Amino acid sequence: MRMAQIFLLLSPIFRAWKNDLRAGGRTRWLRRLILLSLGIGLWFGAYWTIKRVLVYFQAVHGLGPELAYQLLLIILLTFFSMLLFSNLITALSTFFLARDLDLILAAPTPPSAFFYSRLVITMGNSSWMVFLFSLPVFAAYASVFHGGALFYLWVLLVLPLFLVIPAAVGALIVHLMVYLLPARKIRDLLFFIGLFAFVLLYFLFRFARPERLVEPEAFGHFLEFLSAMETPSSFLLPSSWATEIFASALFQKPVELWFFYALLLSYALFLPLVTSWVSAAVYLSAWSKTQESRQGRRPWGFLDALLRFVTRPFPEAAKAIMIKDVKSFLRDPSQWSQLFLLAALVVVYLYNFKVLPLERSPIPAASLRIVVSFANLALAGFVLSAVAIRFAFPAVSLEGKAFWILQTAPISLRSLLWGKFWLYLVPLLFFGEILIFLSNLLLRVPSWMMALSLVTVFLMTFGITAIGVGVGAVYPKFDYDHVAEIPTSFGGAVCMILSIAFIGLTVMAEAWPIYLMAMEGLGRGSGARGVWVAAPSLAAVIVFTILAVVLPIRAGLRRLDAMRG
Amino acid sequence: MIRLENLSKRYGRVAAVDDVSLEVQPGEVFGFLGPNGAGKTTTIRVMMGILKPTSGRVILGGHDVEREPEKAKAITGFVPDRPSIYEKLTGGEFLQFVGSLHRMDSQRLQQRRAELLEHFELSDWKDELVEGYSHGMKQRLVLCASLLHEPKILIVDEPMVGIDPRGARMLKDLFLALAKKGTTIFLSTHSIGVAEEVCQRVGIIHHGKLIASGTLDDLYRLAQVEAGKLESAFLELTRDGASAAG
Repeated sequence: MRMAQIFLLLSPIFRAWKNDLRAGGRTRWLRRLILLSLGIGLWFGAYWTIKRVLVYFQAVHGLGPELAYQLLLIILLTFFSMLLFSNLITALSTFFLARDLDLILAAPTPPSAFFYSRLVITMGNSSWMVFLFSLPVFAAYASVFHGGALFYLWVLLVLPLFLVIPAAVGALIVHLMVYLLPARKIRDLLFFIGLFAFVLLYFLFRFARPERLVEPEAFGHFLEFLSAMETPSSFLLPSSWATEIFASALFQKPVELWFFYALLLSYALFLPLVTSWVSAAVYLSAWSKTQESRQGRRPWGFLDALLRFVTRPFPEAAKAIMIKDVKSFLRDPSQWSQLFLLAALVVVYLYNFKVLPLERSPIPAASLRIVVSFANLALAGFVLSAVAIRFAFPAVSLEGKAFWILQTAPISLRSLLWGKFWLYLVPLLFFGEILIFLSNLLLRVPSWMMALSLVTVFLMTFGITAIGVGVGAVYPKFDYDHVAEIPTSFGGAVCMILSIAFIGLTVMAEAWPIYLMAMEGLGRGSGARGVWVAAPSLAAVIVFTILAVVLPIRAGLRRLDAMRG
Repeated sequence: MIRLENLSKRYGRVAAVDDVSLEVQPGEVFGFLGPNGAGKTTTIRVMMGILKPTSGRVILGGHDVEREPEKAKAITGFVPDRPSIYEKLTGGEFLQFVGSLHRMDSQRLQQRRAELLEHFELSDWKDELVEGYSHGMKQRLVLCASLLHEPKILIVDEPMVGIDPRGARMLKDLFLALAKKGTTIFLSTHSIGVAEEVCQRVGIIHHGKLIASGTLDDLYRLAQVEAGKLESAFLELTRDGASAAG
């Protein structure tokens, strides 16, 4: 009976999928095909990369399985942390913010059926991507270490448990937070989730100690290194239990396989049960609290004055749109909480440059610094595009159902899009320049390379921002439940591809002069004379940038106009 | 003040609006009646430039909405059927935003904002985020926004949805007062009572076609019903198979 009710509560999702699949149309199918090809491409890319890494590890005599084991530990730890964070965010939405909650809670639904159906939705929404991308990892391991059918059987047995645990933990934490915190505002809750995720990411990163994979000599004695390798990160984490089970099947590691499986199984059964008890006890009070929290008085005098000052150079309408966007951003926790992730990204990014073992490379350190700094241009570009997709790409979609206000106002679409472009350009410029400056500082690159990098990232940011805003206007998603849906849409993928293509072109244009200047710098101790070598390349980058700014914005304008039918 | 010339809007083979022509004089309250799905909202969305017409044109205050959209929109106020607005702005900030879009001068904007918030009994709520407003309050806030720049034309789509009797009375009085001052009002509704009380002329749209247009007396005659029975006239004219004339 209860199972039937759970299925009934889940049925709208399946029916929506079915109807969505039925509603064909050539463009829709083309879109699906492109997405599917992209997914398959990424899937095989991941498989190939991991297989190459594992084959390389095997070449390290006697250390292959140990390194592979350590890598698996890190991968599963990463998956686990991603699952946990994703489940926290999704659980908040499915249990407390979803639009259909009024309807479901007003119906004679048994609490347990409600809880388990919501848990399944939370788990499905948060885990499908990790699940899909864990498969090439396991396939690569099975192929290199001849796992065979037994290994796949273990994957089949372990993976569902591995997904259930973070979903139950996420739901449990969200229930307790909404119940215990003075939840006048959901944003407070999200703030804590963001902070929690940040701290978690930091600790998990340190737990994993990834540098051990490339610095065996740092451990001094070989045996000491081996023994360190054999120590799992933490026996308290389900990712470690899963790794132990897989290691036993793959590397014939002598571990208590059934003990670890029993651990996983018991937690996967016990945690949802505990969470369901907690939910039964606190859900209604917690839900009522979230309902009370939908208003608040906020005097923002200082911010008003600051925004008016900063936007002074812009025309009245553009200024109004900018001020409105900044205020909406700062007051929407689902938007600003992403800044925590951004901060974590920057910390890890810069940390990587700090620990790069440049001195131990066979290539002279001076030229290696320039090579790494050059690669850093592309990397910083990718980071900037990732940030632009999070923030600039949703700029138009965030108008949401209130877009009619701008459509019926006496302003042109052109000023709307340019207003959005300038709004996102300034913080992205600041972010990109800081990122490249600090990483180059850590790399101790010569001043000409620093200057060239700063100029290139300056130009690149114009293109990346315009691609974000423009493609966001080409693929607007005004009807969204959560902001995070916007960048993960089809348009987000197109935006990423175009940004990467633009970064690729820019970096390629500068490869040759940087090589020449690096060589000259090595020979004569100064690359100053050779700066002019970069002039044609910089000119090419300027042309690419102008195209990357003009074309997407123009396409966005055309699309917004075409939306009128 | 408002002219629709052979206006059509098609979605594939379906004609949502089919060759509609009408004219509304300055200071007139024109009621646009029709059953659900008749094409009222589509007509209004084309009038406001949110949708492009398939053929025909809309002239607002002498400005073609397609050719001079900014000039046409600058003299028009619009109230949609669903008041979706920026939830993370306060009511006061929302009005400031709309006033800035209309390039209102700061002093006039502040003055109008205070007047309208007072008139629509929202002064105490002006510093609250819109997300905390009830449906009726949002509707009143959107009305404030539509009147902020003192438009010559006011286009309102289903104004009475979700409004309590007191709010409805306030709205009807407002429309009459605005018309008296010369504002042209285009009122789409399926509330017969509102049309009877405030509209000088009424147009009835059915299956995308304007099947009748005129004063209330014209409609009673056309539908061959007793005077004062607009509901009967409406039902008779929108009965499928009934013959109609403009």
